[in-house]
Amino acid sequence: MNKYTVINPHEPFRVLNTHVHNIDGIAKVTGRATYTFDVKLPGMLYGKILRSPHPHAKIVNIDFSKAMEIPGVIGVVTGKDTLGVKQGIWRRYNDLCDEQVLPIEKVRYIGEPVAAVAAVTEEIAEKALDYIEVEYEELPATFEPLDAIKKDAPEIHEGFERNINVTRHIEWGEVEEAFEEADYIREDWFKCGGQHHMCMETRAAVASYTPEGKLTVWTSTQSAYYHQALLAGVLGLKEGNVRVLAPYVGGGFGGKFELDAAQFCASVLSMKLYKPVKIIFTREEDFIASKRRTPMFYYTRTGVKKDGTFCAREAKVFTNGGAYTGMGATALYLTGFFHSFPYRWKGYRYDGYRVYTNTLPSTSMRGFGAPQAMWCSEQQIEWIAADLGLDPIEMRRKNSHHEGYIVPGQATIASCGIDQCYDEIRKWIDGKGKLPANRAIGLSACGFMSGGIFNWFDSPYSFSSAVVTVNNDGTVELHVGAQDIGQGSNTTMAIICAEALGVKVEDVKVHSGDTDHCPADLGAWGSRQTLMTGNATKMAAESAKKQLLEFAYAGAGLNIVYDLDIKDGWVHAIARPERGEPFVDLVKRATRGKDGQRIVGRGYYTPHRKGMISPAYSYMLQGVEVEVDEETGKIKLIDSMTAHDCGQPINHLGLIGQLEGAFSMAAGYGYLEYMPFEDGKMMNPNLVDYKMIKATEMPPANIAEIDTYEPEGPYGAKEAGEGLTNPTAAAIGNAIFHRFGIQMKECPVRPEMIVNALKEKAEADKGKK
Amino acid sequence: MSEPQSKPIICPVCGKKAKTGSAIDCARHMFGTGDKPHRKWVDEHVKEHGESFIDLLIEQATTPGNRSYVLLAECIEKAVKEAEGK
Amino acid sequence: MEKKVITLSVNGVEYELYINPKTLLVEAIRDHIGLTGTKRGCETVSCGACTVMIDDMAVKSCSVLAIQADGRKITTSEGLEKNGELAPIQKAFLDEGSYQCGFCTSGMLMSSEALLRENPTPTEEQIREGIEGNICRCTGYNSIVRAVAAVAKGKYAEVKS
Repeated sequence: MNKYTVINPHEPFRVLNTHVHNIDGIAKVTGRATYTFDVKLPGMLYGKILRSPHPHAKIVNIDFSKAMEIPGVIGVVTGKDTLGVKQGIWRRYNDLCDEQVLPIEKVRYIGEPVAAVAAVTEEIAEKALDYIEVEYEELPATFEPLDAIKKDAPEIHEGFERNINVTRHIEWGEVEEAFEEADYIREDWFKCGGQHHMCMETRAAVASYTPEGKLTVWTSTQSAYYHQALLAGVLGLKEGNVRVLAPYVGGGFGGKFELDAAQFCASVLSMKLYKPVKIIFTREEDFIASKRRTPMFYYTRTGVKKDGTFCAREAKVFTNGGAYTGMGATALYLTGFFHSFPYRWKGYRYDGYRVYTNTLPSTSMRGFGAPQAMWCSEQQIEWIAADLGLDPIEMRRKNSHHEGYIVPGQATIASCGIDQCYDEIRKWIDGKGKLPANRAIGLSACGFMSGGIFNWFDSPYSFSSAVVTVNNDGTVELHVGAQDIGQGSNTTMAIICAEALGVKVEDVKVHSGDTDHCPADLGAWGSRQTLMTGNATKMAAESAKKQLLEFAYAGAGLNIVYDLDIKDGWVHAIARPERGEPFVDLVKRATRGKDGQRIVGRGYYTPHRKGMISPAYSYMLQGVEVEVDEETGKIKLIDSMTAHDCGQPINHLGLIGQLEGAFSMAAGYGYLEYMPFEDGKMMNPNLVDYKMIKATEMPPANIAEIDTYEPEGPYGAKEAGEGLTNPTAAAIGNAIFHRFGIQMKECPVRPEMIVNALKEKAEADKGKK
Repeated sequence: MSEPQSKPIICPVCGKKAKTGSAIDCARHMFGTGDKPHRKWVDEHVKEHGESFIDLLIEQATTPGNRSYVLLAECIEKAVKEAEGK
Repeated sequence: MEKKVITLSVNGVEYELYINPKTLLVEAIRDHIGLTGTKRGCETVSCGACTVMIDDMAVKSCSVLAIQADGRKITTSEGLEKNGELAPIQKAFLDEGSYQCGFCTSGMLMSSEALLRENPTPTEEQIREGIEGNICRCTGYNSIVRAVAAVAKGKYAEVKS
């Protein structure tokens, strides 16, 4: 069903890149894994949130006296019960902290929270919502960025002229001169849709505030540390008095590291009532009032020489930011940067504008602006190749990044396997022979970052930290702040720790998702954990190992030029591996030698001098075979192949899972996951009408793993979790182009768009005759 | 594009030297920073062209080319020369 | 509405419940009995996270009332293992990495197990149809299909002896 090939494999490791089961696997396949959704505390109340039915309105008055009369209702909170702190994840920039999760003065999108109820059961809380009377004064609203920047558009946030929230500019080279060198210039407008994270576990929190002045919050999060800090900020507590616990997390995909209403309202209610409060979003609430992938309008102009050499590119982008900033400002920068990927441009200019509208706020989602960038870039490049009669693979290849390439002022590429990706995809295409008439193959190349170097959150801590503690029996405790949201980071860290220390994975216990006991870490976003937490873990394990080996050297009586090592729990001289002792014996001796102190290794990672974006970049080329029905416009994915360079793979099963899973989400973005809005209201906020890939629609996701060595990554590793979300939509678009010669400029591509485009083409062809 | 400056231009609002010190880099810096003092300066200096900070920004976004940045760069150069002349 | 006494047999254990007749089976299992392996992911019977087996049939437990299951044999993900020994489908899920966040996993296991009980040698297409009602946002399904196929091929059969 799926083919997995490894090109240039490295030396065998003991643990790394072997078939290691996910360390949380047994809990997950036996129903033992408990999520925030399952948390139940003694005396716990259930909370429900009242939401705005208006896209833009002043809150004149809220009267909840009738709700309080309902038996079982314990408390109600509104914005007036809060400190009114405007918060945001871009804490370094005051202007961009623009969201009161329970607003005091006005609401800015349909579904925005206005009040929250706590009651003894969920049903009573739900019923109480009907008895809260909110008087609104409706305001004119605006929903699309190109309308919201007009002179007469309503003002959504005070002081943000024409509703422009953030602008970003990226430029290198002499752009106009580079365009003058071009023989052919093509310009296109594109529209990129939003997409919902659709985590299987909706937004969820249980908050418990006690008279000691301490708050404990169980929540479904991608970064326990972010939520600790954000909650402390809005609630007026010290960070140290807020404990965030992330039990098993039912998916994140970029949507769970901003402060959400479940976390905030549960905390405010609990602080008012001194009782634990649980809030779980319904699926509909999750759709209309969490966040979404940022919809974008893209203008892109590209100049190339006759022989296909890329000269210059200019892009202007408007994003529909929705009501608040959130992580959208980062998506605005990253889309502009990755729109240049994975190619060398003599001149490149990007102007991005994030515009406030009265819609669901948009933010980061797996790929973080890059899927939109690639939808536009990779299709336009395919069209340019067709316009010039050039081979699209060879045209891409001659312009691609390579090891040692410097993206001017932005990044240094230390490892890059894209050239071999072209070979592998070429082989895959050639192996198929002639395709049936209703099928075509589309390609798309891209790259992605391995964690961001930016610190807009203004964290005073290292980006990642790890602590390795060796118990007297040879078992190991690994404490990390990295968040496992299903991507398998706990397993990845256990593997790195086991490899570095020379023990078995089963002997490593990973502690994560608890701010009281784990070091701060920025968490699971931007494909950062394998590289950043991985480096911290490796450093901590190596430190512990060094301390242990000091005792081994002291006892071994070897000439000092001999090296000792630990592999598979066996401490030995590298030159004479049979001479040695079990790991556990060394640990016992070392612990005694340290007067009973446990051996502790510490590690951390903070990027320095790594350009503007990231320490390392993954590369990939994907081919998708698509069948399209001419009559109905219905799309069916037949097969796919991805040639992928993530440096040294660490977690073999996890890597395959990431690549296959990203494919299904990315394909959904290409042709299924449409989020229509009418007057600010999402029209399909349920799983019947919001279409995603199902088991019957998923094609084989074959993989050719091009192993490179990334000097900045642990054991040469770089990102693998997110980048694969980037190419697929464009690859599907390109397949449609090769099937019919029509150019799809809006994603997701719906059947009626294909049917209409074919009609237009038929008419145009008739006109030509 | 503007010629490389013999003397680097520093931002007339915050005194920063933007990248190469060219007027165009200073213009990018002004748009990029976009806080109230920078906006005010731009509004005052592009008024004679019938433009404002926000109009230039939106033009930069909605039309190909680089007219807004070039125009602001010219205004910056003029202002710097005038300041030197004083 | 008047509460009723019903008996649910879940994973071989009989539970006597005194419940509102409107209680859904998923609520009875999760909230009354306290077996939280079974999840819920929607309100529209669309996601499959709450799938359990009633007798040997996969049923979305948010689509039936608890009283409708009175006296029937219900199996949840917690009931697949026997004395700490995992069932073949669970082992196959581990080997193939057929779960990530794990929130859909319980339902996915029950749909897979029910499919294998009904048709021990399904084709790939039949496997995909068998789990079509279960949404998994993480894996892209292929690893789940591989796991079911591995069980069907008898990879884990010797364990039974």
